[in-house]
Amino acid sequence: MTASPSHLDLLEAESIHIFREAAAQFRKPVLMYSIGKDSTVLLHLARKAFWPQKPPFPLLHVDTTWKFRDMIAFRDKTAADFGLDLIVHVNEDGIKRGINPIDHAPSIHTDVLKTQALKQALDKYGFDAAFGGARRDEEASRAKERVFSFRASGHRWDPRKQRPEMWRLLNGRLGTGETVRVFPMSNWTEKDVWRYILREKLDVVPLYLAKERPTIERNGQLLMQDDERLQPKEGEKVVMRKIRFRTLGCYPLTAAIESDADTIESVVAETINAQTSERVGRLIDHDQAGAMERKKQEGYF
Amino acid sequence: MSALALVPKPEAQPEPTHAFHRDLNGIVHLLTCGSVDDGKSTLIGRLLWDASDLYEDQRENVRRSGRKAAGTDLPDFSMLLDGLVAEREQGITIDIAWKYFDTETRRFVIIDSPGHEQYTRNMASGASHADVAILLVDARAGVKKQTRRHAAILDLVGVKRVVLAVNKMDLVNYAEDVFKRIEADFRMLCWKFGFWEAVAIPMSAVFGDNVSARTSAMPWYKGETLLEHLEKVPSHGTAFDGEFRFPVQTVLRDGCDFRGLAGTVSSGQVKVGDELTDVLSGETAKVVRIATMDGDLPSAQAGQAVALQLDHDIDVSRGAVMARSDAKPVAANTIEGRFVWLSESPFDPRAGYLLRTVTDLIPISNIEIKALLDLETMSSHPASGCAVNDIAIAKISLGRAGAIDVFTDTPETGTLMIVDAVTGASIAGGIASSVTAKSETPVDGHFILTREMLANGLCRDLSLNSVDREEFTRRANEAAILLRAAGVAVAIEPPPPVDDGMDPGI
Repeated sequence: MTASPSHLDLLEAESIHIFREAAAQFRKPVLMYSIGKDSTVLLHLARKAFWPQKPPFPLLHVDTTWKFRDMIAFRDKTAADFGLDLIVHVNEDGIKRGINPIDHAPSIHTDVLKTQALKQALDKYGFDAAFGGARRDEEASRAKERVFSFRASGHRWDPRKQRPEMWRLLNGRLGTGETVRVFPMSNWTEKDVWRYILREKLDVVPLYLAKERPTIERNGQLLMQDDERLQPKEGEKVVMRKIRFRTLGCYPLTAAIESDADTIESVVAETINAQTSERVGRLIDHDQAGAMERKKQEGYF
Repeated sequence: MSALALVPKPEAQPEPTHAFHRDLNGIVHLLTCGSVDDGKSTLIGRLLWDASDLYEDQRENVRRSGRKAAGTDLPDFSMLLDGLVAEREQGITIDIAWKYFDTETRRFVIIDSPGHEQYTRNMASGASHADVAILLVDARAGVKKQTRRHAAILDLVGVKRVVLAVNKMDLVNYAEDVFKRIEADFRMLCWKFGFWEAVAIPMSAVFGDNVSARTSAMPWYKGETLLEHLEKVPSHGTAFDGEFRFPVQTVLRDGCDFRGLAGTVSSGQVKVGDELTDVLSGETAKVVRIATMDGDLPSAQAGQAVALQLDHDIDVSRGAVMARSDAKPVAANTIEGRFVWLSESPFDPRAGYLLRTVTDLIPISNIEIKALLDLETMSSHPASGCAVNDIAIAKISLGRAGAIDVFTDTPETGTLMIVDAVTGASIAGGIASSVTAKSETPVDGHFILTREMLANGLCRDLSLNSVDREEFTRRANEAAILLRAAGVAVAIEPPPPVDDGMDPGI
């Protein structure tokens, strides 16, 4: 009876608690669904929190139009399988202006097609709370995040004005113009995410599993050629390599690793023995010191 | 397979040989606090460097930076900690930072809290999540005012285990008598508080002495290293004794006959067949199912998030706390408690405040600041106002009853947050030291917001279903806040008896 719960049991219960609090306290929440492994776990936790009901909020995917094709297919299947409403939002204005991650700096692409797009979508539908799968272990400024992360009007994050959170009390009362980002997985680590996917037997985007794929080596990173928009530059060539991804984002901005791990079990083993953190594969975070902090202040997740 | 099942899961697929593969046994939350320049970030950095499963690129960042710990040729381990640009620029910690690491047997969560007095409220917030706290002192300075202040805050928020890390022993030639003096001061200090365990360890974070490895520099010290000590601290979520409490977060339905009270067991245990009471409505029912998406459970214990189905529908919704009828919380109308003032705005007797408990939000009809605590002497001085970083003893009268416990008996349901009704800001965090059902209201001069008045006007569009009942409560609360902000002392009429067939209860 009094067997100790494992750390995954504790993390799961905490996340469920957060989901239920947020759903009870906010008027119109939405789940930021970005298709990756963290979103997969986030959605699974949401389903557990409200079972036997469906989660009382839709999924929102901010589509930069540069996601891997496998991701889009997985997204649509997931929403259909669980019978959930899926909102896909694209910053059409940014697309018209021709912003893309190949010709523009990653920071511009991210700002226009992710950060601005997210703000547009939240405003358009009037969501007052958005669930995200961000974890404190991802990056230094994330390490300071609250579970209920308040944003002033314009979605700006002021790290010095975050609300103190004490014990298990979550204060979701909003001031004028405020919205909130809710992070039910704040206390999870990358390893926990994989352990949990294995334990709960969750489906993930196939790109997480190793397979022969067309790749281009650029600046020491392996990029996957997902469609004709990414072409080898002078001196580069497309080579088939057995690769997989530790993290998934926009495909020209997400580097793959060479790997033989083609099952969830072997991915977990590889992750647990990994020597580098996952964001090494995220090119947008290398732009400059404090990159994530600045992006967050501007309204990024 | 149930995530909450209490039988061990069959291990899936080929076992990685690495020692860190296990599903870790519990989580220990470790708070670190100390004055500016005690070397706190260096100590945590050192702990991560020596004992944790840091990634190689994180290690490489530290090496590549070329930054050295002051006066040495060793890497600056504090780089692994301070996150915000402003903090790196100023070389101080402003906000709490959360760090995670696994040793072979357990998950540690390090809550790194600011040392500076200006950020005491952040320290208090961090401490409220901790199972054990490391208080850092500089061996050259010993126990200081800030150490006493921090110990008092740890005690206030309920931390029971404390380690005094006497750092920078290298700067006092590793002298035993220096350590003994500081240890004696620490014993004197702890004597005033309710800590279950308090130990002092001499160390040098920069050199790693007694952090994770023993040192030849202090042969006179026979005790544990910091890491050895931390590995033995009982982990969070293993204290299942205590009275059963289940704060209801929401009600879940399946569209047929399932109506489950959703929440997290905050203390004790429950099993199918137990009879539970809601102290606010006074109603009682038996648990017939403990439901999760992974299947029903025969029982649930502190920390588990479940949905309880009762044998008959009782008038219970968000904010109720289910308990056994012979050991239940108080339907409190008046609370006395100790609060850390978190807001930059001082107490304003005319402002509209709300009281947040684990799942309830209750309008406050009056706050009376009775005294401020002097953290130097632990004595209290009569006061009527309070401002940021103050610890106040206050009496709070509620606009309606809330299910609240005395913190020292049943911690989680005795935690409180004062919220600004207009801005929503978290104003003060605190703990209930006494709770009474006796209402100070209504008295002469109090305006009473009656159920009938609300049902015939503001809430005329609402029906009797549970969603509308919550909306009814919300509107009643908001009306009370507006009246109170206008200077009208107000009370909300208590909930109706269950079977009177009246309109939505509050």
